[in-house]
Amino acid sequence: MLDLTRGQFVKHVVMHPFEGFEDLRWKKAGSMRIAVVVVCLLFVQQIAYSRLYGFQYYSDYDKMFNIVPYIFKSFILFGTWVVANWAMCTLFDGEGSMRNIFINSAYALIPYVTAYLIGTVMSHFLIQDEYVFIQAVEIIGLCWSFVLLISGIKAVHQFTFGKTIALMLLTIVAMIAILFLLVLLLTLFQQVLIFIFSIYTELSYRFRV
Amino acid sequence: MSGLKKLISLISAAALTVSAVAVNASALETYDPYSYDRWGDAVASQAGYTAEKYVDGEIIGCGNFYEPADLFISHDDLMYIADRGNNRIVVTDLDFNFVREMREFDYNGETLTLKGPTGVYVDQYTGNVYICDTENDRVIKCDAEGKVDRLFTKPESELYDQNVTYNPSKVLVDKAGNVYVVVKSVTKGAVMFDKDGEFLGFYGANRVEQTAEVLANAFWNLISTEEQRNRSAKQTPIGFSNFDIDDDGFIFTVTDSQETSTDLVKKLNPRGDNILDSLGAADMRFGDNPPAYYSIYSKNSSLTDIDLGPNGELNILDFEHGRIFQYDKECWLLFIMGGKGYQLGLFQSAAAIESHDNHIYVLDSRKNNITIFTRTVFGEIVTNAANLYNDGLYEESLEPWQNVLKYDGNYRRAYIGIGNALYNKYEYREAMDYFEISISRARYNRAFEGYRDEWLKANYLKCIAVIIVLVILIIVYRQLRKRGKIVYPWEKNRKAGA
Repeated sequence: MLDLTRGQFVKHVVMHPFEGFEDLRWKKAGSMRIAVVVVCLLFVQQIAYSRLYGFQYYSDYDKMFNIVPYIFKSFILFGTWVVANWAMCTLFDGEGSMRNIFINSAYALIPYVTAYLIGTVMSHFLIQDEYVFIQAVEIIGLCWSFVLLISGIKAVHQFTFGKTIALMLLTIVAMIAILFLLVLLLTLFQQVLIFIFSIYTELSYRFRV
Repeated sequence: MSGLKKLISLISAAALTVSAVAVNASALETYDPYSYDRWGDAVASQAGYTAEKYVDGEIIGCGNFYEPADLFISHDDLMYIADRGNNRIVVTDLDFNFVREMREFDYNGETLTLKGPTGVYVDQYTGNVYICDTENDRVIKCDAEGKVDRLFTKPESELYDQNVTYNPSKVLVDKAGNVYVVVKSVTKGAVMFDKDGEFLGFYGANRVEQTAEVLANAFWNLISTEEQRNRSAKQTPIGFSNFDIDDDGFIFTVTDSQETSTDLVKKLNPRGDNILDSLGAADMRFGDNPPAYYSIYSKNSSLTDIDLGPNGELNILDFEHGRIFQYDKECWLLFIMGGKGYQLGLFQSAAAIESHDNHIYVLDSRKNNITIFTRTVFGEIVTNAANLYNDGLYEESLEPWQNVLKYDGNYRRAYIGIGNALYNKYEYREAMDYFEISISRARYNRAFEGYRDEWLKANYLKCIAVIIVLVILIIVYRQLRKRGKIVYPWEKNRKAGA
């Protein structure tokens, strides 16, 4: 049964939202490498969505390009999700390891990334009146990813449905807390750096005289 | 080696040409001409008007002005200057030869004098002169010789709150002889009289800007008692400060508030409705854009006067920055001129603006003179192109717009104009390029639709052929995969391992 390679398992998981992740867990067939590729594709998709979209739909303020928001929207947000989910699952007696949460979440993102990339390509062939088609593709991808995410989290922790939803909501709360602390930490480090630098300046002036 | 040398000399020649072009435009002006791009950022531009000379009272030969407040050019090409500090109206012709001075007025045998006149208007249908005799609280209607026909004083009506002062500051008259008076202390709009001096009501009030505070007050008013409501502060709009009327009877108003952005410029129909809404220009910004990105202007514009040019252009005067903004009749920005300062073309306290033919006259009440702007070659080309474009003659406007681009590659409207001309000629691909440069999405969409239709019509057989071939290839591939004829190298390893 299910004599699939790791690559073939990706397709199996995406196409079978309800038992796919259970099979993946049972066979231990998740691949970290593929998961990282998916997250990188998420990053590419975010940039493509705002820079390569058909001109008739969307035009960005293109006098400057700042990559930080895109890094945030892909890598940082995904990383925080994984960490927060792992942190929260220990409270709920979840079985997932950080690695498995990472893999399952990344696999769940595949329809979303694909649909938005397809939408970006479609936007070069359709006119404004036909935007519904793009929208349909994008919404289907989004919903599909959402279902996969629930199923993936459920499988990785062996939870009931209700518990999974509760965990996901808590994860979002935890993500906000983590991001807040991160910002706080960054500001504090900045302050410390400024402090050290001003001491250095002060000393260098004193010793020169 | 010689190829490289050629290249270097070519580049330096090109650089020289570019810098020569760049210098020759702005060297004439005392300010840097600029314009706004699609994003509202200021970009360098060419001057549409150049400040030619200034004229003061000495040159006219009537003695210096003292804080003049208003300027009006009548239908018979006479210029009326309301010299507020000297309590007189000076009349000159357009070459600034002194014609007469109006100081004393004969009102049924009684002699009236002016006190701080701030507005003057000449009715083009009857030739009557209307003067805002501000500090005497009246508007004088007289003929050219100063024989007073009627006085418009504070209306004795219960509609007009008698506690409110009546200091008329600007006046105009419509075709039917109705008189509209801007009174600084009235926020309900212009005070309106019929030709017999009967008070008719208020005309064309501004709206209150929808801020968070207004919404909060509306909420509190819902739940508070009558008494509380009476004691709370009232939300009143800001009254407009100046106006002008066009030949079709539409009245244009400007409001010199720097705090609000609602109704700063309005085009009112005879009912008093703002019809810029239906032009799609209701949320348009007039004057300088608020400080954003790389802008160095930290204050909002304060629009003090408006004038209608011969082709329906709006010349709007910004007191705060001493600038003139010229828009065409579709409210597209044409040119920005002027600035703050003492040199020619800059202003200390810009008070009034009038235009005639290809000249713009600006009155400065602190420099006590009138500056005359004349349209440049560039201005002529742009105006011509814009007029053709606004009349719907897109294809005829193609060449003028291309000329505009030779002078100023930043001029966004030229790209739109060329794009529209090409679109009308069914040259969709080129039109798309121009619309993309001008960042005009809706127009691009139309051109793209046309281009796609054309392309599909020309290539639909090829499209069908490609699709059929693809389907066949996919079927063949799947069959081969099923039979194990195609095995990828990485699968070989895995299978062997398993």
